Amino acid sequence: MATIGNNNLNAKLVLLGDMGAGKSSLVLRFVKGQFLEFQESTIGAAFFSQTLAVNDATVKFEIWDTAGQERYHSLAPMYYRGAAAAIIVYDISSTESFERAKKWVQELQKQGNPNMVTALAGNKADLEDKRKVSAEEAQTYAQENGLFFMETSAKTAKNVNEIFYEIARRLPRAQPAQNPAGIVLADRPAERAQTSACCS
Amino acid sequence: MFGAQTHSEPSNWRRNTSSNPKTSTATIKTIAKKTNNLSVKFQDLYSFPVEGNIDDVNVLNEVRERVRQQGKEWWALEASKGANWYLQPQLSLSGEGLTVPSKISAIASTITSAMTLKKLIRKGIPPVLRPKVWLSVSGATKKRSTVPLSYYNDLLVAIEGKVTPATMQIDHDLPRTFPCHPWLDTPEGKAALRRVLVAYSFRDSDVGYCQGLNYIAALLLLVMKTEEDAFWMLAVLLENVLVNDCYTDNLSGCHVEQRVFRDLLAKKCPRISAHLEAMEFDVSLVATEWFLCLFSKSLPSETTLRVWDVLFNEGAKVLFHVALAIFKMKEEELLRTHQIGDVIAIIQSTTHHLFDPDELLTVAFDKIGSMTANTITKQRKKQEPAVMAELDLRLRRLNSLKIDEK
Repeated sequence: MATIGNNNLNAKLVLLGDMGAGKSSLVLRFVKGQFLEFQESTIGAAFFSQTLAVNDATVKFEIWDTAGQERYHSLAPMYYRGAAAAIIVYDISSTESFERAKKWVQELQKQGNPNMVTALAGNKADLEDKRKVSAEEAQTYAQENGLFFMETSAKTAKNVNEIFYEIARRLPRAQPAQNPAGIVLADRPAERAQTSACCS
Repeated sequence: MFGAQTHSEPSNWRRNTSSNPKTSTATIKTIAKKTNNLSVKFQDLYSFPVEGNIDDVNVLNEVRERVRQQGKEWWALEASKGANWYLQPQLSLSGEGLTVPSKISAIASTITSAMTLKKLIRKGIPPVLRPKVWLSVSGATKKRSTVPLSYYNDLLVAIEGKVTPATMQIDHDLPRTFPCHPWLDTPEGKAALRRVLVAYSFRDSDVGYCQGLNYIAALLLLVMKTEEDAFWMLAVLLENVLVNDCYTDNLSGCHVEQRVFRDLLAKKCPRISAHLEAMEFDVSLVATEWFLCLFSKSLPSETTLRVWDVLFNEGAKVLFHVALAIFKMKEEELLRTHQIGDVIAIIQSTTHHLFDPDELLTVAFDKIGSMTANTITKQRKKQEPAVMAELDLRLRRLNSLKIDEK
């Protein structure tokens, strides 16, 4: 069993949200520090992994970036099953995408792991002049539903690392010692932060 | 070589320079390794920009040469059997005025032609002949012949200026469909792709637009050259070649295929299947994209099109052959994995570097062994009720969410 100071955990994280909200762009920014104006649409899902050091622990995220189109919804359980964390993404310039995000929140509350750390990301925060969803509205919604909320921009990198760090920081606390679904306590020595990405 | 530019990949350099070779052999090895790790940017046979290593470039050059050789074989057959011999070999049993022996010999020659064609297609259709051969063997020509010649143009007139949920999603995906391809990135390329996808969304409102079709239609356009031909290939693919409902509503057809694939893996590659199952790795995690994009997002373009050559001639079972082959090729490596991330890394690096189509197809057909279309149809029938029950249960749960909301 891992002890404090030698805490290495693997955490499955899933990104959900409407098509074009910027799920893949957030992951690409976080994992590779890149941004593409036209990110290829994701089919099924893409997998990435990234390790973060938080305090005395390292968290290795196994990230599932899912497809956003409504009909792909039926595939989602395969990706969020057993996930320790989720980021639900909407586009601040689209009210539809915010409504869709709320549906994902409800679904995870019913179907997902009850200890899941869930973040709500209002992405495309750089598009201030096209804003349709106010930060206050989203913040209120997040509070009511036990999520933590951040506005992000994959384009400018605003709050991208922060949201993943915040999840990593909340993980061990949200997960007591019984080694629940989605978190695997690894008893290997700490690996140095490393990145591996597999995308199309 | 084709204007290959080399540039080093920083992470690889760092890894290599950190080693401290003590002997001269080690130095040579390090240099060789460095050369292999050099990242090279080049264009593949269908002008897709690719980043790979020197080996990939060499393989692709060999493939170009093989494509040329294969072309010669097709021309030689054309010279001996007559032009267009490969178009619609039909068993004309009604052949009036023919005597019985000549009927038999006509049938025999048709069968021989079909067998020659099957072998030939597995070895690859030369890119210039692809449009003609695909239209014929897939049944697209026949499909088109049942409607007025002006069908596609009429459809384009009908869709002009229409806005639907499908057109909005298509517009969203146009700049996100192989954005690196030089032609698809032009206004002309995007407009052609838009017309094909929008026209199809009006032809079949159950499918409308499904993400994934953008990649397939884009590749069809690059091969077929004309929009109308690409449109008919898309139609025959969705309506005749693939299993029903792969792209409709809740992708039920795709769910069925994934279950069939899981069973086939257990049967054809039991060791891999057992190992992955013990790791709780569901093969659909990687295979869903393969089946929905018909490998176009995973394999290099010529390799994808070689798969499509066989797909159009032999049907959807080919997708299972190829998917199984990808796992089979890496059996030993996969058996050594302990983490899901490692499985995915192996599979993805394998597919990305599969520049040699024959390497893949040899495994797909020779090592995997034969599977009849009939067996697969039976497997699908077996899985359908389970998929429907699962999707139905999910739908009811989601509806109960909506009721709670009120």
